[in-house]
Amino acid sequence: MKKIIAILMTVCLLFSLAACGNGGTQETNSSVPDGTKNVSDSGAATDEPREAELNIMMSFPQFMDQWETYAKQFEAKMLAEENIKVKVNLEMPSSDQYESVLQARLSGGDAPDLYTLHCNNIGTYNDAGYLYDLSGEPLADVIYENVKATVSVDGKLLAVPIESQAWGVLYNKAIFAECGLKAPDTLSDLTAICETLKEKGYTPFLLAFQEQWVPQLMTGLTLGGIVSGKLPDWLERMYKNEGSYDEVREIFDVIDLIMANGTDRAMEEGSEAGAADFAMGKAAMFVQGTWASNTIMTTNPDMQLGVFALPINEDPGCTRVNLSTSTTLAVHPDSKELDLALKFANYVLDENDSSALFQSCSFNPLATCHNYEAYSWVSDASAYVASGRAYQDLVLPSSVTDEQGRLLQEYYVGTVTVDEIVERLDAAFQAANAQN
Amino acid sequence: MKNARKRNLSLLLYCLPALIVYLAFKLFPAISGMYYSLTNWNGLNKSYEFVGPSNFLELLTDDYFWDSMWFTFKYVIVSVIIANVAALTLAVAIESCRRAKGLFRTLFYMPNMISMVIGGYMWMFIFTKVLYYLADNWGWSFLDHSWIGDPNYSFIAIIIVAAWGAVGYLMIIYMAALQGVPANLKEAAAIDGANAWQNFWKIIFPLISHAITICVFWSLNSGFQVFDVIYTLTGGGPGRATQSVAINIYQEAFRGNIRYGYATAKSTVLFFIVLIVTAIQLKLTGRKEQEL
Repeated sequence: MKKIIAILMTVCLLFSLAACGNGGTQETNSSVPDGTKNVSDSGAATDEPREAELNIMMSFPQFMDQWETYAKQFEAKMLAEENIKVKVNLEMPSSDQYESVLQARLSGGDAPDLYTLHCNNIGTYNDAGYLYDLSGEPLADVIYENVKATVSVDGKLLAVPIESQAWGVLYNKAIFAECGLKAPDTLSDLTAICETLKEKGYTPFLLAFQEQWVPQLMTGLTLGGIVSGKLPDWLERMYKNEGSYDEVREIFDVIDLIMANGTDRAMEEGSEAGAADFAMGKAAMFVQGTWASNTIMTTNPDMQLGVFALPINEDPGCTRVNLSTSTTLAVHPDSKELDLALKFANYVLDENDSSALFQSCSFNPLATCHNYEAYSWVSDASAYVASGRAYQDLVLPSSVTDEQGRLLQEYYVGTVTVDEIVERLDAAFQAANAQN
Repeated sequence: MKNARKRNLSLLLYCLPALIVYLAFKLFPAISGMYYSLTNWNGLNKSYEFVGPSNFLELLTDDYFWDSMWFTFKYVIVSVIIANVAALTLAVAIESCRRAKGLFRTLFYMPNMISMVIGGYMWMFIFTKVLYYLADNWGWSFLDHSWIGDPNYSFIAIIIVAAWGAVGYLMIIYMAALQGVPANLKEAAAIDGANAWQNFWKIIFPLISHAITICVFWSLNSGFQVFDVIYTLTGGGPGRATQSVAINIYQEAFRGNIRYGYATAKSTVLFFIVLIVTAIQLKLTGRKEQEL
């Protein structure tokens, strides 16, 4: 008798496990009739809202509060206008791991309904069939034309631009004013600034090289300036294996200057800690994008933050700010709640609510619905853009971008020379070309 | 006969749930990984091509991969020795304590209950803030090194954290083995005039050699797959200086060029290397065990 009971229990356990194994498919099957049933329910009795879930994955852990508030607003709006009780699930993996988490979710068939992706990846994701064409949506009519161009492929609008910014080097305006300095136009201006700052007892640059993407910003800015200023066909030739980093070697003049005039223990300093230290006046300049302004202004609300373009040589024509779209929001074409997902995408650029969101995240205005006054650092950078001293972000293969970050770390600790960097970056570029 | 078969069947049924979980979450991914190593899948597209052994041929000339393999071997050798020596020493010390045995055991085991990712970030704070604080304010200038930025010191930092995390677990295994050594043997040796040192090497050590086999096997195996400690402490940097094979594979699969097929080829190679090394180790220590 005991044996029979034991066997029966094993069988039960087995079935419950087997059910778990098939959980994925069963769930999808059952949710479809559920959904339709709810729709017909709401048709019969209008006061009974339909329930729905919307999964959104974003790489904005630093703006968690702002987006959560916005999601709540969206839920309220849907309930009031469409009689849908939406539950928005916001997922915010850290930006270091974001891409791998997203990739695993997409290829594993567990895709979020909406997700952020870097503008540079739009082409790849479009080829893989993970982007819904948003050209016909109302949001297409409000985005500024030059921003729209950065998120379109073959005339199709494939993502909602969210972070579009002009950025260069951040500087502490109070320290600059105290030392009687103004933003530099050439490399010798910058050298002089460093000297003056050191005389007055300030450290010129804040270095935070622990995360590889931060030192990488130096190559980002210098390459952008030099390529748009005097070597417009360099990138094109690099993609054809006809160019070399040897041609842009002079970017190391300013990189050397920055590293020689920076704070100590750079490898032990993360990006957030760096932003906080910069806010507390530990150094006068910081090669970091305006996205760090949130951390800086939270740490020190009285900070007078400015932006200047990084000079590379004696030609002011190469001294330019980066104008780019980085983070965008995409809609997954196979979303179970496609209609709702599109509503959310449109809501991001909503006539009434979008301005408050963009302002609270200190994003730059990028659509006609944005009518807020920009921050001082945004207008600094916009002044460069207005005078034509800006370049469109260079699209490098992401393996080359990663390699630049790694090599700059090594360059800082002194384990590679410029010659080796040139050689290894050329090799990385050719390897990436061979892949595509 | 019939009864025996019936019993076997019921035993099999008991094992089935665990077996199914094992097959679904361990064996199936491992085997499908080996299959992907023969394709050019990028981890994202819905389609891919079968490319035969070309991933493995490319691997032979991939310097970054072999650099990371060399680093991993260095790491394994140093960490296995340090973790095991420290764990055995601790186990013997705590066993010989008359009081507060439980307290020490709990204290040293504690790091094992924290995820190594959290442990890594804790140590990161110690290496980047606490040590500098001590160096700047207490004058302990011997602590003033670039613990994360200088490859030599970051290797030491990684070993310290890895050993800190592993020692507790190994110590428990050694303690269990020590408790299994019959007291009468130790007593007899003492009566025959053996001192504590001789007693340990001649009596206790041979009798706990099975625990050494287990502990070395475990630390070898986990050493070859080291990821979390390095990822949280240095991220493989500066540059690629502290990149273990697991980190190299991760970056190949999820960063940069996103070559999933090539990354699985790397993990297949790692699998066979770990298999061979641990097989040799088991054979050697097994023989030693019999000799002793």
